[in-house]
Amino acid sequence: MEGYSIWVAVILAVWAYIAIVTMLGPGLWWHEPLISGLVTGLVVGDVGLGLQVGASLTLMSLGMHTYGGATIPDFMTGAILGTAFGALGGAGPEAGLAIAIPAALLMTQLDILGRAVTTVFIHGADAYLERGDLRGITRMHLWGHLPWGLSRAIPVFLAIWLGSGPVQAFMKWLPQWFMNGMKVTGAVLPALGFALLLAQLPVRRYWPFMVLGFVLFAYLKVPITGIALLAVALAALYGSLKGGEQHG
Amino acid sequence: MAEAEVRPASRVTERDVRRAMWRHILTLQWSWNYERMQALGWLWSMLPILQKVHPDPESLKEAMRRNIAFYNTNPQIGSPLIFGAAVAMEEQGQGEVGDSLKVALMGPLAGIGDTIQAILLRPILAVVAASLAMAGSVAGPVIMILFGLAMIAVMPPQFWLGYRQGVGLVHQMAAGGAIERLTEAATVLGLTVIGGFIPSIMAGLKTPVKFVRSVTVGGQVTEKTIELQAVLDQILPYMIPVLVTAFAYWLLRGLRLSPAKTLLVLAVVAFVLSALHIL
Repeated sequence: MEGYSIWVAVILAVWAYIAIVTMLGPGLWWHEPLISGLVTGLVVGDVGLGLQVGASLTLMSLGMHTYGGATIPDFMTGAILGTAFGALGGAGPEAGLAIAIPAALLMTQLDILGRAVTTVFIHGADAYLERGDLRGITRMHLWGHLPWGLSRAIPVFLAIWLGSGPVQAFMKWLPQWFMNGMKVTGAVLPALGFALLLAQLPVRRYWPFMVLGFVLFAYLKVPITGIALLAVALAALYGSLKGGEQHG
Repeated sequence: MAEAEVRPASRVTERDVRRAMWRHILTLQWSWNYERMQALGWLWSMLPILQKVHPDPESLKEAMRRNIAFYNTNPQIGSPLIFGAAVAMEEQGQGEVGDSLKVALMGPLAGIGDTIQAILLRPILAVVAASLAMAGSVAGPVIMILFGLAMIAVMPPQFWLGYRQGVGLVHQMAAGGAIERLTEAATVLGLTVIGGFIPSIMAGLKTPVKFVRSVTVGGQVTEKTIELQAVLDQILPYMIPVLVTAFAYWLLRGLRLSPAKTLLVLAVVAFVLSALHIL
């Protein structure tokens, strides 16, 4: 088999759209690579391959989470493309992953682009708010998912419609410095999420607790679960000690 | 019912409250953006309440302006609770109190919610599901689908808890400091967890820089390699994640850059440092 019919491309593009928008709300977790691998496997007629590609990508994504809006590799799109191309002519899971991983990394670019475009909607909403136009506000919010959905649906459609040749050629055409830069950017971006969180908190007054959390992990190697439990205890103790002062 | 006494002129019905809840659960992040993140989703969810509480267009605008401010937290664990409390407060004309509660809780609850979801639940589930799938069992993805449904199932109870507590909190305010104590405890919790998160999430940020020197020791020339990362680790473990976070914080708070511009600066710095083989 050389390629897929246009309908396979359409169906998988629609799935990619739905999966990313449900991630935004209500959070069905359909963007998990394992689920997208299964769905793609069903569509292209190779469930076993979909499970393998999805499982490999799931293990790669352990510990990755979009903290405070950071961009992580898009393993959902990776799973769709990896499964679809791996099933072509019995290319197998290795060939699938060879497409899936760079595709997941490359998609971070489009994720950032999609997220950047959505700024239009908040500015639109501000304008409608001043005019007292509630319908306008509603439209701005509900249309907000367009850039998100399209940033996944268009590349999935094009890649599967065009076939594996052009996709691999495009990947090879990308210079190494670009791929490296993307990788480092991905590693740096969680800092934005943390900084956004910290900007919301009274860090100046409560900084010792942050130092404590850091020391627990960095020097004492306490896992995050342990730190969270200790933090609950600290919060409870801190509250009761302060309460005691007031009454005493 | 005692609750009826504290709902004076407001014509908010239970149907309005339910509508607000479902808007929040189903669409909170549809219009997510770098600038104010979940702000527009929050406002749209609150609209059914605001329209009833503020029949006067000018006062409605004022309330909407408050509700379109920056907001971001874990949408599934935390946000329904915060939103429920805020709905209760808006309903009683105490929107400003709701605002401060929202700002105080969104950071800590993002920390708690993300920890529960991404550090406790998801990795454990993902490993089990992935190993089942590797063995060819469809049970793997099915577990994931069930997990997604379970996450939705915990949202309405959180909303109602927040909503009921929110009504109670307004009463307790005069009696003294309930919100302050809650906020304080949440801040302590959130910051401690963030302190651990910064090094753990960004542990991959290391420098490959090496210095190779030929040194003559007792007449023999040997090559000596000094790895910069090892030196940095001795000064402060995870120094690069700490510096990068401090840099991002300084861009946001010190230079007052928008989140989108901060992102751009971070990306440019990352590309330059990677091209120079420093990161």
